[in-house]
Amino acid sequence: MQTTKSIARTFTLIVSVCTVLIFSVAIGSFYHRSRVALEQEVANNAAHLVLASINRVETTLHAIGKVAEDTSRSLEIAGYHDQSLTTLLKETLRDNRDIHGFGAAFDPNPAFNPPHPVVPYYFRQGERLVFAPEDNFQHLSQDWYQIPKELGQMAWSEPSFDKASGTILMTSCSVPIFSDNGREKQVRGVVVADVSLEWLTELVASIRVLDTGYSFLLSRNGTFLTHPDRDLIMNETIFSLAESRHKPDLREIGRKMVLGESGFVAYTNIHDVSTLMYYAPVPSTGWTLAVVFPEAELYADVRNLTLVVAGIALAGILLLTAAVYWVARRVTAPLGALAEATEAIASGHFDTELPAVKSSDEVGKLTLAFTAMTGALKKYIRNLTETTAAKERIQSELKMATDIQASLLPQLFPAFPDRPEFDIHAAMDPAKEVGGDFYDFFFIDPTNLCFLMADVADKGVPAALYMMVAKILLKTEGQRLGEPEQILSRVNEILAADNDSCMFTTVFCAILNTENGEVRFANAGHNAPVLISGGQAEFLSIRAGFVLGPIAETVYTAERITLEPGDVLFLYTDGITEAKSRSEELYGEERLLQTLQTASRQELAEMIRTVRAEVFRHADGAPQSDDVTMLAIKYRGMAARNP
Amino acid sequence: MWIGLAVPLVLFWLCLAHARAEGLAKVRLMPLWSPQAQFAGYYMAREKGIYARYGLDVDILEGGPGRSPLQSLISGEVDFAVLWLATALQQNDDGLKLVNLAQIIQRSSLMLVAKKASGIAGPADLQGRKVGLWAGELSLPVLAFLERYRLHVQRISQAYTVNLFLRGGIDAASAMWYNEYHTILNAGINPDELQVFSLHEHGISFPEDGLYALEQGYRKDPARARAFAQASLEGWRYAFAHPEETLEVVLRRMREAKVPASRSHQEWMLARMRDLIMPADSSETLGHLQLAGFQAAGTILHKHGAIEDIPDYATFTGDADADH
Amino acid sequence: MDIQIAKEEKAHILTLSGKLDGVTAPAYEQRVMALLEAVPCSLIIDFASLDYISSAGLRALLATAKRIKLKGAQFHCANVTGTVREIFDISGFSSILRMHDSVAGALAAIG
Repeated sequence: MQTTKSIARTFTLIVSVCTVLIFSVAIGSFYHRSRVALEQEVANNAAHLVLASINRVETTLHAIGKVAEDTSRSLEIAGYHDQSLTTLLKETLRDNRDIHGFGAAFDPNPAFNPPHPVVPYYFRQGERLVFAPEDNFQHLSQDWYQIPKELGQMAWSEPSFDKASGTILMTSCSVPIFSDNGREKQVRGVVVADVSLEWLTELVASIRVLDTGYSFLLSRNGTFLTHPDRDLIMNETIFSLAESRHKPDLREIGRKMVLGESGFVAYTNIHDVSTLMYYAPVPSTGWTLAVVFPEAELYADVRNLTLVVAGIALAGILLLTAAVYWVARRVTAPLGALAEATEAIASGHFDTELPAVKSSDEVGKLTLAFTAMTGALKKYIRNLTETTAAKERIQSELKMATDIQASLLPQLFPAFPDRPEFDIHAAMDPAKEVGGDFYDFFFIDPTNLCFLMADVADKGVPAALYMMVAKILLKTEGQRLGEPEQILSRVNEILAADNDSCMFTTVFCAILNTENGEVRFANAGHNAPVLISGGQAEFLSIRAGFVLGPIAETVYTAERITLEPGDVLFLYTDGITEAKSRSEELYGEERLLQTLQTASRQELAEMIRTVRAEVFRHADGAPQSDDVTMLAIKYRGMAARNP
Repeated sequence: MWIGLAVPLVLFWLCLAHARAEGLAKVRLMPLWSPQAQFAGYYMAREKGIYARYGLDVDILEGGPGRSPLQSLISGEVDFAVLWLATALQQNDDGLKLVNLAQIIQRSSLMLVAKKASGIAGPADLQGRKVGLWAGELSLPVLAFLERYRLHVQRISQAYTVNLFLRGGIDAASAMWYNEYHTILNAGINPDELQVFSLHEHGISFPEDGLYALEQGYRKDPARARAFAQASLEGWRYAFAHPEETLEVVLRRMREAKVPASRSHQEWMLARMRDLIMPADSSETLGHLQLAGFQAAGTILHKHGAIEDIPDYATFTGDADADH
Repeated sequence: MDIQIAKEEKAHILTLSGKLDGVTAPAYEQRVMALLEAVPCSLIIDFASLDYISSAGLRALLATAKRIKLKGAQFHCANVTGTVREIFDISGFSSILRMHDSVAGALAAIG
C-alpha cells in the first residue's frame, strides 16, 4: 500500500505544483499588465487635469499681463503728466478685479525722467481704491522693478506673502516702459500689477486626485507656493527639501521642473510614500504645477482584484488537489489490491483470486491480463510437470539401457580361470549419458581368443543402439570368420548398408594365439593400444584404418605382433586420454604411458584399478563426459600352462 | 508623588528666576539682519540663560529691511549692534566712535558668483559685465576685488534677493557664502554650474560680523559690555555644540518674524558660521579681532578713500580702557 | 563453435573455429545441409582454427561429405593440423577424405 500512496501523492504534488506555477505566472502577469495599463491611464488623466488647470491659470495671468502690457504701451505713446497717469492707473485697476494693486515707477534718469520721478500706486481695500505712492528710491533695487528693467521684458516676480496679513501670496507682473529716442530703446520705467494668488492657491488645493493624492505649485526658483504641508510653503524649495531629506533624485526632478519641462515620474515623497507624479509648467510665470498619486491607493483596486483572483485560484487549487488525490487514490487502490494478489501468486498460490474487474480502464485491462497470465502460468506449470515426468521416465529408461548395455559386456573376472597362459581384464565406467564404448572377448576356437575395443561415434540412444548392433555383429562374424581384417570388412559391409546418418564406430580387433603369443589384429580408426613389455610401456605402432560403418568398400589390413610371456597389451578408448581436469586439461597419452609403466608389474585387475584411479584423480570431480573403458590382456606363455 | 514634589520645586525655581530677572541689567542688541543662523549664538546665549548668568537681560531686536542696527545704535534704541568691521571703521572715520567688543567672523565670507554658462571662468571674464553690488560699505570688499584685477564692470544695485541673477538680469551677483550662495544652490543650480570668486581667496580679507557699542556707552559700563561680549561668545560655543537645538530656536524666531524659514538653509548657514567663527588655529582666540585682519581691512578702506585714518587698534577694541 | 561461410567461384569455403563435438555438430550439420539444399556445390572445410573434433564431429563431417557426393559435388578438407590431424589419422579419416595443406590447394584440386 506504501507504493500506491506514493504514486497518488507524487501525482497530486506534481499536478498541484504545476497548477500553482501556472496560476502564479498568470496572476503575476495580470497584475503587472493591469498596473501598466492603469499607470498609462493615470498618466493621461493627470496630464489632462494638470494641463486644464494650467490653462485656467494661464487665462487669468495672461489677461493681467495684457492689462499691464497695454498700460505700458499707452504710457510709451502718450506723454502722461502726473495727474493723467494716476487717473489711468486708478481706472485700469477699477476695471480689472483680478489685479490687487496697480502702479508705475520711473527711473531717475534725467535723460528721460525728472530727477525725482513719481511712483504712483493704487491698491484695493475692499471696494475702495487707495492711493499709496512711494517717494524714496527703494523700488530701484527691487525685483519687480529690476528684473523687467534689466531683461527688457515682462516679468512675473517670485511670489511672497503680503506685508499686511503675511498669509496671502502675492506676485507682481511688471512690464518695462521703453523710451525710444530714435537711437536706442531704453527702459524708462516699469508698470506693475500686484496680484493676489489666493484664487490660485484655492484652485490648486481643489485639484484632488484619489483620496490621498494632492497637488502643489512651485515657483520659478523651486519654492513651494502651495502644498498640503503648509510648513513647506514659502519656506522650502524642492531643492532644499531634497537636501534635507537626502533625496538627490528629487533635486533632479526639481531641476527639470524649473527648466520648464513636463513629465510623469515615480518617486518616493517626503513622507516615504511611493508615488507617481505628473508635472507641467505654467508658461507665463515659469511656475510648475504637479499632481501626486500615492501608488498604494492608485493600485489598491488592482491589488484587491488580484488578491481576489489569487484567493479564488488558491481555493480552486485546493479543490483540484483534493480531487486529483481522490482520483489518484481511486486509480491506485485497485492497483494495490492487484499487487497484493500478484504477490501471493508470485509466492506460488496460483489459485489466489484477483480483484474483480469493475472497469474497462487500464487497471481493468491490467487485471484481465494478470488473470490471463495466471491461467497461462498454471497451464505452463502443469505442462512442465508432465514434461518433467516424461523426461524422468526417459532418464530412467536410459539408465536401464545403460545397465543393459553394461550387462552385455563380459564382466566376470577372471574370465577364463582354466587358461593360465593368459590373463584378461576389462572395465567400463559409463558416462552419465548412454555412451557407445564397448569391449568384448571370446574364443573363436580353443587357441584363438578374439578381443576387441570399440567406440561408437556420438552418444545417446542412437549410439547405444548402434553399439548393440555392432557388438552382436562383431561377435557373430568374429566367431564365423576368425581373422580380424575379415571380421572388420564384413561387419563394415553390413553396417554401411543404409547408413545415411553416417553412424560409425572405431574398433580395434585382435586375435591372440594362446599357444605362441602371436596377436593378429586390424584397426578401424581406433586409438593405438599400449604394449607393456619388460617394464616399458609404449604405443603400438599400427595402421589407422578407416572407421567402421560409413563406407562399404573399406579395406582393412591385418598386422601381427608376438607377445613374449609377461607382455601386456592395454586397449582403451579416448574416454581415458581425453578425460578433463577442472582446468580443462586432458589426461593425455603421456600420463597414460607413465601410469601403465609404474603399474607394469601389477596384476591386470590391479593395473586397471590404478589407471581408473589416476584418471578420476586427474578429473578431480570434473564431470565425466565420455565412457572410460579399458581392457588389458597379459600373455603368460604356454609354460604357465604346464608348470 | 512625583507631581507633589515637582510642583513646589518648579514654583520655587520660577520665583528664583523672577527674583534674579529683577536684578538683571536690561540691554538691547540689534543684529545685522532678520533672524537667521547668522545670529544663532546670541539667540542661544539668551535662550540658555547665558546672558542671565552674566547679569544681563538681553532683548534681541529684529533687523532686516528698513531697520539698520547702526541707526538704532546711534539713536540709542539699542546698546549693542552686530556690524561689519568695514562699517565700524567708516563710521569711526566719520566721527562716530565705536568700540569693537568682539570680532565674530574673522574673515571675508563674501563672494562673487557667476554662471559658467555665461562664459565666466576667471576674474578677467568679468570685464564689462553686469555685476550686482550691495549698497554702501557692504560693496567695499567687492570693489577692492574689482580694483585688484582692474575690472570695469556695470554696477547694478543688488537688493535682498538673488532673483535678478537667477533670471539672468546680471552676470555676477554678490553673495555671502553662508547665505545667498546656498540660496542659489537651492534654486536648482548645481555647484559645478557656478563660477565662484571667494574674496578671501583673492587676498581680500575683511573680518565681517563684530559686536559693537558706542564708545560713550561702552565707557559708562565697560564691564557690562565685556560681559555681554563674553556671554555672546559662550552662546556661539553652545550653538555649535548643539546644532539641532540651535536650529529649532533659529527656525522658531524666523517663524515669529514671519520670514521664510528653510531648515536646510539654516543648517547650511549654521555650519558655515562654525567654519567662519571658530578659529582656524589654536593660537587665535574666539572673538578676538586680529590685528593683522584689522590692519588689512583698514588699509584697503584707506586705499579706496573710504577712510582717511585707520584708528588706533587699542582704542578701537576698548583695550586702552581695560589697561587703565 | 563458429562457422564462417565464404563463397568462391567453384566452392563454398567453411571456416570452422572452436570445437566440433556432440554439442556443436548438429548446428554444423544443419547449416551445411541448408546450404547444400539451396546451392548444391563443392565444399572446402578450413580446419585451421578448429581446436578439437570429437567422434560426433567426425560423424557430422562424414554425413555432409556423403551428401555432397550424392549431389555430384566435391568435399575437401584444408589445414587439418594438430590434435584434429591426430584424430583424423587415428580414425582413418585422413585416408578417405581429400586433405590439402591450404584452401588454395583445395581450390586448385577442385579446378
